[in-house]
Amino acid sequence: MRKQWLKWLLPVLAFLVAFGLGRLDSRLYRQPIGQVIAVKTVKSVKTVDNFDNQDRTTTQEATVRFLNTSRRGQTTTITNQFTYSGTVDSPLRRGTQVFLTKSSGPWRLSNFKRDAIVLALAAFTLALLMLIVRKRLWFISASIAVNAILFTLATHIQTDASRPLVWVLFSGLAIVFAVVTALFVVGWRPVCAVVVGGTVGATALAVGLGYAIFALTGYRDLHLEAVKYVTQSPQLLFFIQIVIGSLGAVLDECSDIAISIMQLDGSGKKRFNAGMAIGRNVMGPLITVLFMIFIAETFAEAVLWLRNGNAIDQTISWVMGLGFAQSLISGFGIVIAIPLTSLLATLAGKKEVAA
Amino acid sequence: MTTLSALALTLLVLMLAVGGKQGLSDAFALLLNAGLMILAVILIAGGFAPLAVAAVIGLIVLAVTIFLSTTDMNVAGPAFVASLLVMTGVIAVVVVGVLFSHTGGFGAEDTEDLEGFSLTVGVSFQQVLIATGLLSTLGAIAEAATAVAAGLIELGDDATAAGRQDIAQAIIGTALNTLFFGFFGGFSALFIWFAKLRYPFWEVLNDQIFAGELIQVLFSVIAVAATVPMTMWVVGRRHREEG
Repeated sequence: MRKQWLKWLLPVLAFLVAFGLGRLDSRLYRQPIGQVIAVKTVKSVKTVDNFDNQDRTTTQEATVRFLNTSRRGQTTTITNQFTYSGTVDSPLRRGTQVFLTKSSGPWRLSNFKRDAIVLALAAFTLALLMLIVRKRLWFISASIAVNAILFTLATHIQTDASRPLVWVLFSGLAIVFAVVTALFVVGWRPVCAVVVGGTVGATALAVGLGYAIFALTGYRDLHLEAVKYVTQSPQLLFFIQIVIGSLGAVLDECSDIAISIMQLDGSGKKRFNAGMAIGRNVMGPLITVLFMIFIAETFAEAVLWLRNGNAIDQTISWVMGLGFAQSLISGFGIVIAIPLTSLLATLAGKKEVAA
Repeated sequence: MTTLSALALTLLVLMLAVGGKQGLSDAFALLLNAGLMILAVILIAGGFAPLAVAAVIGLIVLAVTIFLSTTDMNVAGPAFVASLLVMTGVIAVVVVGVLFSHTGGFGAEDTEDLEGFSLTVGVSFQQVLIATGLLSTLGAIAEAATAVAAGLIELGDDATAAGRQDIAQAIIGTALNTLFFGFFGGFSALFIWFAKLRYPFWEVLNDQIFAGELIQVLFSVIAVAATVPMTMWVVGRRHREEG
């Protein structure tokens, strides 16, 4: 019994090791990195803004030791200003590692070094997964790695492409994602074709239906200009967000349904109904998973808007509106996939028996 | 009619057509959750401690999602207990992750969106991020807990170690795709930004928004991974007590 307990310490150990290594990797960087060895508060003043929000702005002076470059070992002093709200700033503590920059005058803080905590949490996650899914972990990681590489490649290619082509490129990419992930989930079997067909079909129908409704209602109260990180047309970015965002959930659901149906014997109707029953059980929670992710992402901005004297309905519509729309269209895909995949799997199963 | 209400109405019709009574119940749960999330934003903006708001609203979100998505109390009961236990653990992971990553608030890429806003608003965005991190994992926790509990109860007394292992693998494999693409989609615009402006790899890895986003995905994966053995443990305990 005691041994059983001990294995759950493995993720914590992985976390600590990765965190330690991440803090020692400064020499891999060419940008100057320093570690805070002492901090003192120079000034701290209360502030009140136009909306009567009370905050506190603190100025601190930190002694920083260089960890890399030819200055390694030397120290310098930087000043840092942070607010209680920390909207765009963050306090320095002893041990904090930061990127430093200097144009003219003294060294300045340019960014926080975050690789150690990112690596540590990734190591924690991998160790935890390994304890639970064991060998399947390699399968799952490989699938995610291949998709990440494909996505990175696509984002690089499309920067040079002309606009209409980009829509086609990302639609094609979504199909490739579906095929690759389905291959990893179910393998090279007839059921794979059903999963891909169900996923692509349901996503296409959902997006088509969504855009039909956009057009019919004239995009009323849907603020595409509120799409963030705009480098392309916001319409295109929103389209990509919807298609890729819902793809995983739809694919998971399709594979659940297809695998179960193809294992069943009996009449076509019985098998179709079994698929519908499985789908009904998972659709609510699946939509909720995506909904919580999409809406939670808008929290910080929504709070900022409200504290800046914006009305609640305006904030919901401008800041959270796109997240709601994205969740709802993903919901279309998740619901449409149920009858579609049940039908495809029932038909495909029959053929297999006949042949 | 506004676009959003038309979309919502269409989803309701689809859910009713495919899910019948269960569809109605799911749609109701979704509506409640939407209201709860809006309420959470309003409370946090109103000055309530973000973490406290997230914990209380989170508890209700879990209850709504689990008890409205399954009618079988033998499934919903242990799923809810396991979800609460996982939520407590996730809070600890989220707090550590957010404190050490300095990812609260807004990043350099957000500068344009912040123009004209007062930034000294008196709400700690570090705590807002902790609340966000917690809330965004809840859907995945509820889904995994319900699926594990339902799977175990279906297996009944014949549940072997191998059978349980199969359930664990299937549920985690499934959840990971949902989470991965969900977050990927949400932040594809940012990735395109990185590519377009030719950010080097090290800069992406240390970027405030990217690091924050990646950590958020990891929180969710950790939550789902922890939910599976936790739910098995809770179901097993109940079983032993009854037997």
